[in-house]
Amino acid sequence: MAEQTCPVRNTVIYLSEQICSGTLTDPKGRRISEQILQLTEEIAEGAAGPEHLSAIDSLIEEYFYTQSPVQNQETGKTLKEILDAHREVFISHIETKNCPSHDCGKLAPSPCQMACPAGIDIPTYLSLIAEGKDAQAIEVIRRDNPLPWVCGLICTKPCEMMCVRARIDTPISIKFLKAFAAERAMSDRAYKNPEKKADNGKKVCVIGAGPGGISAAYYLALMGYGVRVIESLPVPGGMMMVGIPRYRLPREVIDREVAMIEELGVEFSYNTVFGKDVTFEALKKEGIDAFFIAIGAHKAWDLGIKGEKEFPRVIEAVKFLKDVALGEHHVPGKHVVVIGGGNVAIDAARTSIRLGAEAVTIAYRRSRTQMPADIEEVEQAEEEGIEFSFLTIPKEIVGENDVITGLDCIKAELIKKQGSDRLAPVPILGKDFIIKADAVISAIGQYVDDEGMQAFDNMNWSRRGTIEVNHASMETTMPGVFAAGDAVSGPATVIEAIGGGKRAAESIDRYLNNIPQPRMPKIPVRHTTEPPKEMSASRKMTLKHPEMSMLSVDRRRTMFQQVELGYDEASVRREASRCLRCDICRRCGKCVEICRDKMGIDALKLGYMDFDEPSETDFRATGEKCITCGACAANCENNAIVIEEKDGQRMLKLCGTILNKQDIQYCEECNAILPSIEYMQFISQKTENIGKVTENRCLCNNCQRKLSAKMTVLMPPVNRT
Amino acid sequence: MQFQRGDKIEVYKKSMDEAWESYMDDFIGLHGFITDPDTTINDPDALIRVSLVGKGTHRLPQDALRLIP
Repeated sequence: MAEQTCPVRNTVIYLSEQICSGTLTDPKGRRISEQILQLTEEIAEGAAGPEHLSAIDSLIEEYFYTQSPVQNQETGKTLKEILDAHREVFISHIETKNCPSHDCGKLAPSPCQMACPAGIDIPTYLSLIAEGKDAQAIEVIRRDNPLPWVCGLICTKPCEMMCVRARIDTPISIKFLKAFAAERAMSDRAYKNPEKKADNGKKVCVIGAGPGGISAAYYLALMGYGVRVIESLPVPGGMMMVGIPRYRLPREVIDREVAMIEELGVEFSYNTVFGKDVTFEALKKEGIDAFFIAIGAHKAWDLGIKGEKEFPRVIEAVKFLKDVALGEHHVPGKHVVVIGGGNVAIDAARTSIRLGAEAVTIAYRRSRTQMPADIEEVEQAEEEGIEFSFLTIPKEIVGENDVITGLDCIKAELIKKQGSDRLAPVPILGKDFIIKADAVISAIGQYVDDEGMQAFDNMNWSRRGTIEVNHASMETTMPGVFAAGDAVSGPATVIEAIGGGKRAAESIDRYLNNIPQPRMPKIPVRHTTEPPKEMSASRKMTLKHPEMSMLSVDRRRTMFQQVELGYDEASVRREASRCLRCDICRRCGKCVEICRDKMGIDALKLGYMDFDEPSETDFRATGEKCITCGACAANCENNAIVIEEKDGQRMLKLCGTILNKQDIQYCEECNAILPSIEYMQFISQKTENIGKVTENRCLCNNCQRKLSAKMTVLMPPVNRT
Repeated sequence: MQFQRGDKIEVYKKSMDEAWESYMDDFIGLHGFITDPDTTINDPDALIRVSLVGKGTHRLPQDALRLIP
């Protein structure tokens, strides 16, 4: 272990090496080490509570059980020594949530990883995809997300929004690269489950087979728990299966990824309603030790307008999408109006078109820029012929004899209400109009259906109608009962539910092993650092974001085939290579400052490093001014910028991008390697006296010094008379 | 305050909302981006998802946030 670095960081490195190297062959010793590592990582991140250190002390004692192998005892002894010598440093980390030497921040995740609610190590898997190692990339993704293929097709991609490459040109297409890798790995039969731990004899019941439930089930199964998933629908996937249409997410994708989880021994009970077909008491009798609730938010809000309850063809979008997903392919009407502005409204409209509706209009009370739906989804809907009626407030559904004839609306304007700087839609008096319709679909949002949840009598509900949890552990107010997904957040995203499910699985494990829970949600962690891919500055600058191949519009208006067809392999490898590797370079800007302010060279045009005011970036510009002095590399704490000498050339590289390349010069006297001519000229200017002596000669420092000394001896003193 | 996806924000004060948990006190003063505004009903009361520099992604009450240029 390194002596100079923070002991907390050292402990993390030591335990990671022990676990990864396979040194700990004893299952109990390995389990103890993993638990201590988890607690130490939280201390390093500032996420630890007051009980963390005492829990580590107790775990260390567990290494020394009767007949414990020597390897365990040695690990325990080493950890004891670290704690004895540096206990106050651990306490300081816990109390101040800070690492005084900043060592604990050196592996800080990249902005894309930080933005991902599941905390996926994106730069690592992108570099693996760039190298064509798709199965390894999937392995990295599944450490934090068991559904890479699903997310590769439908994620809301907050990672791309934070992508640093966007400060230069366009963000990396992270989402589709993930889908490509998953599909390729699945096709190659290289999409494998990690090895699961031996059964620990404990059982967890997961209520709901949506993304949150599936995620928790996967991580619990890997930890050795027996998992039973209760699902009221006849299929797995929850909203992924019955809320997202097949043209965005083919059923086979969900089925294949769920099959991987079944392979781990997770038992799925479909068509089983909790509280009706199976009760809390019965499950407790079955030996369930903990419960995880991930029931989603499937109940639709009412429109609250006249006519809503009178006409049979006023349909809730969630029910409509569910029926279609389960095989009822009936067109809702010839002229369909969808009310709402989110992704569910867009999905209902695009589904109606595919089922044969002649005209579909989305009525939204605000303007286009305020639509919560994804921009791509809105554009694709427009391409398919869906009309939008913005600033439209529905007033009444009109018709005769159970048949709808139209939706009576009133035009709105956006006005700031008193005491608020928020624009609200306000009806304009007299601006009434009717949209022709024979079917109206409401898509104004969903809420959590609490039916059947009465058995969890000590579980609190928030005023928003969601399950109240401690977000650090996802534990409800009822001991042993955890929850995540839309049931906790309200209608949100698949990736957020996946992240919550994983966090809950870790907390259930802690709960059942009497390990203290973290004080705050875990900050994403990086497990490894892939070496960066070497490429020229020109290549790095000129690689362009590929165009997505799309299904023809005619087919999109008639079938449920997948709309986005993905990239070809060459485009995928190129796109992954555009990644700037923000896991290695933390963009502290020290290299730029030193080159510009200390050396006076100003060769690094890396404007993307400035978070608040990014300026122009051009990796190619470095070669014009750089003297390969190495000052930038010498001051880079993360070794992101380095000087390398290879094959007669000296290269300055930033995360693999060659910023400058020069032929190495050799000393004419002794053949020693010289710095660049430009650097020697730079030094000559600073040391003019020596320069005079060695003028026009290519010499190393030693020879310069020797010759200069020799000449000084030979030359007569200047001022001697 | 109405937040849009991609808006740059600061967590500038503690919220009185029941959804504010004690660990969120650590976030006061931090900057970040809105990654998921109130997607369903444009509700000023909804919890919105923000990615905070150095602290990951969290759902926070809107009254604790303000836009920064």
